[in-house]
Amino acid sequence: MAKPESAILPKARPRPEFRNLGLGDLARYRLPIPGLTSISHRLSGIAMFVALLFLLALLQMSLRSEAGFEAFRTMIWGNPVGKLVLIALLFALIFHLLAGVRHVIQEADIWMTLPASRASAFAVFGVSIVLTLLVVWRLW
Amino acid sequence: MATNSNYIHEWWLQRISAVIIAAYVLLVLALLLVSGAPNAAQWQALFAHGGFKLATLLALIAIAYHGLIGALHVWPDYVKNRALLAVLNAYSWLAAAATVLWAVYILFGLNPVSK
Repeated sequence: MAKPESAILPKARPRPEFRNLGLGDLARYRLPIPGLTSISHRLSGIAMFVALLFLLALLQMSLRSEAGFEAFRTMIWGNPVGKLVLIALLFALIFHLLAGVRHVIQEADIWMTLPASRASAFAVFGVSIVLTLLVVWRLW
Repeated sequence: MATNSNYIHEWWLQRISAVIIAAYVLLVLALLLVSGAPNAAQWQALFAHGGFKLATLLALIAIAYHGLIGALHVWPDYVKNRALLAVLNAYSWLAAAATVLWAVYILFGLNPVSK
């Protein structure tokens, strides 16, 4: 006679269940990496859209005169907060681009298995971090 | 954004604008990676170049459109307050329009780059 399944299999760790996710649950909720890529694609896009007019102001400042360019270099790029914000936006840009490429590839029914989806999501994070560091290193 | 056929158009335009933006971003990143941080003269000479001006304008128009469509799709997924949603949507339209107008001014109306 077959034993009940629970007697054969090792006792599985009880998995947390989330029915209606509240703010307090977010700390315990571990989004799978493809999901993290998806929400980060949205977040990076919104961040860049919100920063767009601010970035145009900086572009105008840098192009108006030599003094304007130097003011950008010393007051914005030379300021730790300014530098941090611009580096974050650079990461958002590179990440958003690569996540977008992955998204379009998946629309063509490629990388749709779980391992491929996970691997490509990891790759998007890895490559965008490396590329960001490379550009920052060249501009520092 | 009322009919199905509009969604198809939007779907395509979002991808076409993405390709334009990606090409421009990769061009600028490649330039920065190859030549490093530019000085004022190099930076302003780049934006005084007619071809680069045109590419920048095209990219900024694509960015304004792509960002607008993205924002209009993302806000209602998280913002359930209708008044706040209306404000965000209105800001998105204004920011996109301002981006295009301001880009024309920066590239074609601003000395010394446009002279």
